[in-house]
Order: sequence, then structure tokens, then C-alpha cells
Amino acid sequence: MGVKRYVAKRTLQAIGVVYVVATAVFVAVRSVPGDPARLVLGGNAEPDELAAVRAELGLDQPIHVQYYRWMADLARGDLGDSIYTGQSVGASIANAAEPTLSIGLVGITIAILIAIPAGIVSATRRDRWEDYVATGVAFLGISMPSFWIGIVLLLTVGTAVPAIPSFGYASISEGVVPWLSHVILPAAAVGLPYAGIITRMTRSSMLEVLSEDYMQTARAKGLPPRLVLFKHGLQNALMPVVTVAGILFALLLGGIVAVEMVFGVQGFGRLLIRSIERQDFPIVQGSVIVVSIIFVFMNLFVDLLYMSINPKIKYGGGA
Amino acid sequence: MSTDYGDADTFFGVRLDRFERLYEAVAGDYKATFGLVTVTLFVLAAIFAPELAPYDPMAQEYAIMQAPSLSSAHPLGTDSFGRDLLSRMMYGARVSLGVSLGAVTIGAVVGVSLGVVAGYFGGWVDDALMRFVDVLWAFPWLLVAIMLVAIFGQGVWNVIAAIAFAYIDDFARLARGEVLSIREEEFVLAAKNIGLGDLGIMTEEVLPNAVAPLIVQFTVLIARAILAESTLSFLGIGVKPTTPTWGALLGQGRSLIGQAWWISIVPGVAIVITVLGINLFGDALRDAFDVRGEGGSP
Repeated sequence: MGVKRYVAKRTLQAIGVVYVVATAVFVAVRSVPGDPARLVLGGNAEPDELAAVRAELGLDQPIHVQYYRWMADLARGDLGDSIYTGQSVGASIANAAEPTLSIGLVGITIAILIAIPAGIVSATRRDRWEDYVATGVAFLGISMPSFWIGIVLLLTVGTAVPAIPSFGYASISEGVVPWLSHVILPAAAVGLPYAGIITRMTRSSMLEVLSEDYMQTARAKGLPPRLVLFKHGLQNALMPVVTVAGILFALLLGGIVAVEMVFGVQGFGRLLIRSIERQDFPIVQGSVIVVSIIFVFMNLFVDLLYMSINPKIKYGGGA
Repeated sequence: MSTDYGDADTFFGVRLDRFERLYEAVAGDYKATFGLVTVTLFVLAAIFAPELAPYDPMAQEYAIMQAPSLSSAHPLGTDSFGRDLLSRMMYGARVSLGVSLGAVTIGAVVGVSLGVVAGYFGGWVDDALMRFVDVLWAFPWLLVAIMLVAIFGQGVWNVIAAIAFAYIDDFARLARGEVLSIREEEFVLAAKNIGLGDLGIMTEEVLPNAVAPLIVQFTVLIARAILAESTLSFLGIGVKPTTPTWGALLGQGRSLIGQAWWISIVPGVAIVITVLGINLFGDALRDAFDVRGEGGSP
């Protein structure tokens, strides 16, 4: 199978997955026990109010018309409007996205800055104290919920360093320093478990690479050990680490939502939790779809990236 | 068990010499011993919570309600309603550990069934089932949980369902991979030749030989499920807010963090020790069963 066909096939598959997710969300929301309109308006709503909300949600239409509309709107990028604020779901999510993305990106950066060196040291100094410290801390990292790390950071760093605000968020448009000082603690809380996972993966992947024949050959050729390690070793060791980046995104998102609550950040997590409290279905269903689209296409991207940096991978064929 | 492994005895299809190796791995490794001992202690505390807890977890002491504090009467302090934190933690362990165990068990049963059937039959069955698994995987678990709560309200079973849902694809992929490597083994072909049915071959020949990596997976996911449950409870979308769980206790402590830091710290420590213990034990299992996987020590 050619590269183009493979890319096309995988893209179609990804679109197919998103289509099924959208259908499942449609079915799920319509299987709400009782009347969604009553859920929205509360117990003692007037019949004409209920009818108005039903019409607004399109619930007065036959089910196949609802489904068709749902998919047609989705294809145009229209996720509906918030029941509560009237703002479009797309705009609501976009407005809440900046703090969440900031925490996520800074968190991943912190994780990588810690984990890759820690993993390399751990593998090259195997069974020495450096290795024990690195693997021990990594184990601890993957065993802590992010939001709890956030609380601990808040109580320690947050109170000890007055320059670091422990609450809220400052947009990057207000300047990099206020932005980073607000983001750093939540990002660390999200990034540390992530760092634990990447350290462990880098370590085991590096250990495997170190025992490969081409490493022996490179050393035997008389290349400096550092060059062998970084050029031949690291390049190959990091590939499997890259592939899981997409999978870890899901883990990261769960962490960010909870960490936003700890630090009072008005991001995507806050939006989600508030939407549940308000029974704001369009936001909840829109979020599920947006996140799965990001998730599916990020993995597709990682997959194709992996394929392009590793020519040994065959496209097509097996799983 | 109809499979003949030569002279090795088996237990649920795992050869007993593997358990001997497991015993050696745990006994000879202080990390694994620590893991096993702490997890056992927490499980015992959860099971015997009614006998061991010093107070009724729901009983409120109005005298200390305004000033939650650490004292000799309440070694781990009290929460904002004057309820003993140690007792609530013990009862909380029942929910936190029970939900995790339930969720991973359901995820394992559904996922392994899908994976074994897909791997065993191959062809279009495999294609269809694995595409289905792809779709499951594309749902972010947290949002599934949020949707379930938004639609059906809070409750133990919704939390279990949401977490189980997230693990089906892990088990399905793993089981399928194992089955693919076992399917063409001679003993499976022999079982076919003597006329054993597909179901019989799957449950009696194939599955027992795939059990070691599945046990490791199960252990690792229990640890992740405890974290997931605590996150949901912390967010207030877990089990009912009145039920004590470790995550919910943490969530309630958040508003009192200035006056009573321990309400936020103590349940967290319990979560970390338990999850760490399970992870360490899982790592020892991985070594003992010689299973390769994420972060496994080579």
C-alpha cells in the first residue's frame, strides 16, 4: 500500500470514529430519563416554556430529523448554543481554552524537561543511586493524583513564595511574567505524573537501545561515548516515547480539569463542571465531541509522524 | 484444566512454578514486599472498617465543628462537620477500593471477551470488533463520566461504568495480541482436531495461556482506577457527595485549606500509599511473569 493511500485510509478511519462518537452522544443525550426540557427548566416550569425549550433543542422534531440536523450542524462546525448563557458552544469552549491549553503545554514542557534527562541518567547509571532516585521519584509521580500535587504545591510553594499567585489565571496578553507565574504551579501539578510516565518509558526504551548491536558497533568504531549515546542511542530510544504522547493526552486532560478547580482557574474544566451543575447539555455533548476530535486526530498525527521518522514501519498490513 | 503442561501443576492456568517465581520476586524485593503489605493493610482496614473505626463516620461533634483540629481523640483530625477523619477514611477506603475493583473487573471481563473473540476468529469478526474498540478508545473517560452523571445523575454504578468503559480497550487489545500469538500453537490445533468447540478452546486452551499479562494489566489498572475515582469524587461528580471517599474528602477539604490543611493532605497520602503499593507490586508481578510492557524493568 502506498503512503498516500495509507494516509487517506487512516484519515477516513479517524473521521469514521468521530462520526460514531457523535452518534453515540446523540443517542446518549436522547436517552435521558424524563424530559430534558424539564431538567433544564426545573420542576415547576410552565407548559409553554417547556415547549419553547423543546423547540429550541429541536426535541419536537421526529428522531430521524433530529439526527439529520445534528449531523448537518456538526459537519458545519455548529455545536449548538449553551442553554444557560445563549453563547454558542464553540465560542464557550474557545473562550475557556486558553488557560487549559496554557496549563497543558507548560505542563508537558516541564514533564519533558524533567523526564528525558532523568530517564537517560537512570538507564546509563543503571542500578546505581542515580537510577534508584530517578525510578523511585518516577514511581511516586505516577502514584499521585495531579489535583493533590496541586494542593501540596499550593500549601508549600504557594505560601512560601509570595511572587507566585496561588489563585486564578492571567492571560498571556497581560505579559509573559504574570501569565507564567499563574500557570507554573498548576502546570507542575499536571506535569509531574506525566514526567513519571515518560521517565519510566525513556529508561526502559534507552536500556533496550543500549544493548543493541549498532550501539556496540558505534562504540567499537571508536566514536566518543557521548556522541554514541546522544546521536545513536537517544534518537532511537525516544521514538516509542513519542508514540504514547497521544495516549497520554487523555490522562493529561483529566488532570487539568481537576487542577483547574484547585487553583480557581476559569478554564475548560471549570466550564465542564459548571455545565453539569446547570444541566447545560449542549456544552457537555459539544465538549465530548471536541475532545474526541482532538484526541483522534492527534493520534493520527502522531502515527503519521512516527511513520515518517521511522522508515522501517510498514504502512498497511497488521494493526 | 484439560491442557497438559507436562509435569508442571497449574492454578487457573498459570503454571505453579510461575507462582514460585512470584513468591521469590515478592519476598526478595523490598519494594514488592512494601507494596503487598501496605495494600493488604488498606484492604483489611476497608473490610473491617465497622469494627476498627473509632467513630461513626457520619457522627458530627458540634463542639469541634467550628474549629476542625488534630487532637489525641481524633489523631487525623476532623472535617468541617466535626466528623472523625480517620473513621471516614476507613469507610472511604471501602468505596474507593471497591469502585476501582468493580470497574477494572467489568472492564476486564468485557475487554478480554472482545479481544479473545476477535483474535481467535480473525477476519471480519476481528475487524469489526477492533473498530468498535477504536471507537471506545476515542471517548475521553472523564467526559464519559461527566456525560453519565449529567444524564443519569450521581451514583456508584455510574462511576464504575465510566471507569470500566475506559479500560475495555486496554484489555481487548492486550487479550487479542496474546491470542494471536497462541492461536497457532500445537495444543490449540490439537484441541481443534479432537473436536473441541470454539468456546471450549477459547476458555480452556487459549485464555489460560494469556492470563499472566492480563493479571499484570489488571493490577496496573486498579492503581489507575483509584486515581480516576478520586479525581471524579474530587470534582464532585463521583459517588454521592455524602458518601465518604478519599477523593470526596479531599474535595471538601479544599475550601478549608487555610484553617485545616490536613483534611486535604491526609486522604491524599492514603491514595498515594495505596496506588504506590499496587504499582510496586504490579512491577514485581511483571518481572515474575516476565511480561514486557510500559516501563517494565527489562
